Amino acid sequence: MSDAVSLSLRARLDGPLDISGVTPDRCVAQSEAEVAGLPVWLGSERARVGDFFTVRGDRAPRLEIEGDLADVTGVGAGTASGELIVRGPAGRQAGAGMTGGLVHVHGSVSDDAGMAMAGGVLRIDGHAGDRVGSATPGASKGMTGGEIVVFGSVGAAAAALARRGLVAVVGAVGPYAGRGMIAGTVLALGPIGAQPGSGNKRGSIVAAGGIDVPATYRPACTYEPPHVRLLLTSLQRRFGFPADASLRDGTYRRYCGDAGEPGKGEILVWIGDGRRAQP
Amino acid sequence: MEIRGVHIEDTFAEAFGMRAARVIVTARTIRWARAAALKLTGFATSVIACKCEAAIERELTPDETPDARPGVAALIFTMDSDSLGKRLTERIGQTVLTCPTASCFDGLPDAPDRLPAARALRTFGDRFQISKVVDGQRYWRVPVMEGECLLQESFGMQKKGVGGGNFLILAEDIDSALAAAEAAVDAIDGTPGVILPFPGGVVRSGSKVGARGYKGMIASTNDAYCPTLRPLTASALPDGVNAVLELVLDGLSPAAISAAMRAGIDAACRPGVRAISAGNYGGKLGPHHFHLRQIMGPAT
Repeated sequence: MSDAVSLSLRARLDGPLDISGVTPDRCVAQSEAEVAGLPVWLGSERARVGDFFTVRGDRAPRLEIEGDLADVTGVGAGTASGELIVRGPAGRQAGAGMTGGLVHVHGSVSDDAGMAMAGGVLRIDGHAGDRVGSATPGASKGMTGGEIVVFGSVGAAAAALARRGLVAVVGAVGPYAGRGMIAGTVLALGPIGAQPGSGNKRGSIVAAGGIDVPATYRPACTYEPPHVRLLLTSLQRRFGFPADASLRDGTYRRYCGDAGEPGKGEILVWIGDGRRAQP
Repeated sequence: MEIRGVHIEDTFAEAFGMRAARVIVTARTIRWARAAALKLTGFATSVIACKCEAAIERELTPDETPDARPGVAALIFTMDSDSLGKRLTERIGQTVLTCPTASCFDGLPDAPDRLPAARALRTFGDRFQISKVVDGQRYWRVPVMEGECLLQESFGMQKKGVGGGNFLILAEDIDSALAAAEAAVDAIDGTPGVILPFPGGVVRSGSKVGARGYKGMIASTNDAYCPTLRPLTASALPDGVNAVLELVLDGLSPAAISAAMRAGIDAACRPGVRAISAGNYGGKLGPHHFHLRQIMGPAT
């Protein structure tokens, strides 16, 4: 048994490679040869991990993958436990369908990161594409749990149709964030794009870096939401999320929406340090 | 054994297994955290009549609390798991939910046994309440007139808590007894995992099991340690003792009780105190025996 199982991409890929299911929880009980024999897909052709990666280590709850994985789909998809560290960028559907554990990408990822995620933590140090934490095509629900923390910016339709869970973004969030949210939370320190929270039922959008609140949301009050304080404190302590005291202590304006039933969603807009807040 | 001229009797404190929870109350200022915690732990000196024993463990800095606000940690002890859940629900609902800016968190996050004590309180929100999950723990946002009250849903339960650690300060007069008791309380104050549930940490009405004169009494005055009854009963008081005060300790572990007793007894050994003793029932009722001379022996 070693400290970690490591996969090193040997050469540039000729086509799209899907490594969904190559997860730390699968590698924890497997030998080096068994890990190398795990199935992957190059286009529509079935292949093995060992065809593309050099495998080192065995039977460890920590999996490390290095190389330029920008054309690799499903990095960490389906992870249920353990840790996956990705040293480099990753392609589409990173961390999709996770139910537990940690997937930490030291780079940017493409679209559909954390798609249909149900648990665990997906940490992305770079940027993420469209539909972070959203639903698989045709599904009625997006992510149903877990936490997606992005230190860069994200594209359109973040947390669309989310049922539970968190998408926390240091940078900007693209348009249509929280579209059709059932519940869950989108938090952004950067600006949030057009038409946020359309069709939102009970979800929360926390905007610390600017947002155009749709007319279908009605203002409620200004206050210091205790759950935002808790959330920011937790993110800062666990991930070094750069939320300073002015956000944690801050006053937020609460808007309720989206119009229609049940209309119990909310947009919380940071308006200043709570101890010096304007009325 | 003597410590600074105070005789340490060769006896032991007999204590019982209890269930325990640690509740962290935070608020916008320490004033309001204290206010909520004082009410949370009010009227909780003894399970005999209060259904639980509770007190403030210590104050917490913002670095130590889940939401980075000033806070207070309180410990609550009961005799069984069901009762602990009920007491938490009642007390959090009536004291934290009601207190301006206060929030409530679990202080035993690693305890595998969980009590969903605040789940019932969500219904105060009349379906306007909102659930949020942070780091795997569920919280309830209950709308109130100043904003929202945030309550963690479940609380860890320590099944191996200990209730009824104690020692008796046998003094020449009430002034000496009070001074020694206050010094002991100060020495114990802030010990992790330990509370002193009685007023000011001290009890004057030490009890024995049952009663001589009244059937059905669970407990009655400990006449052997009442100086006014010296000629009327089998007194346990040495000559010259005219006032006795007791410190009762509840803790999350036997080790925590031992450490606190050692600190408290040492502080209580001061002028005007003749002896330190302890209350027990012959060793037949409680599984935890804290022998004074072992506790006050050389540190290991």
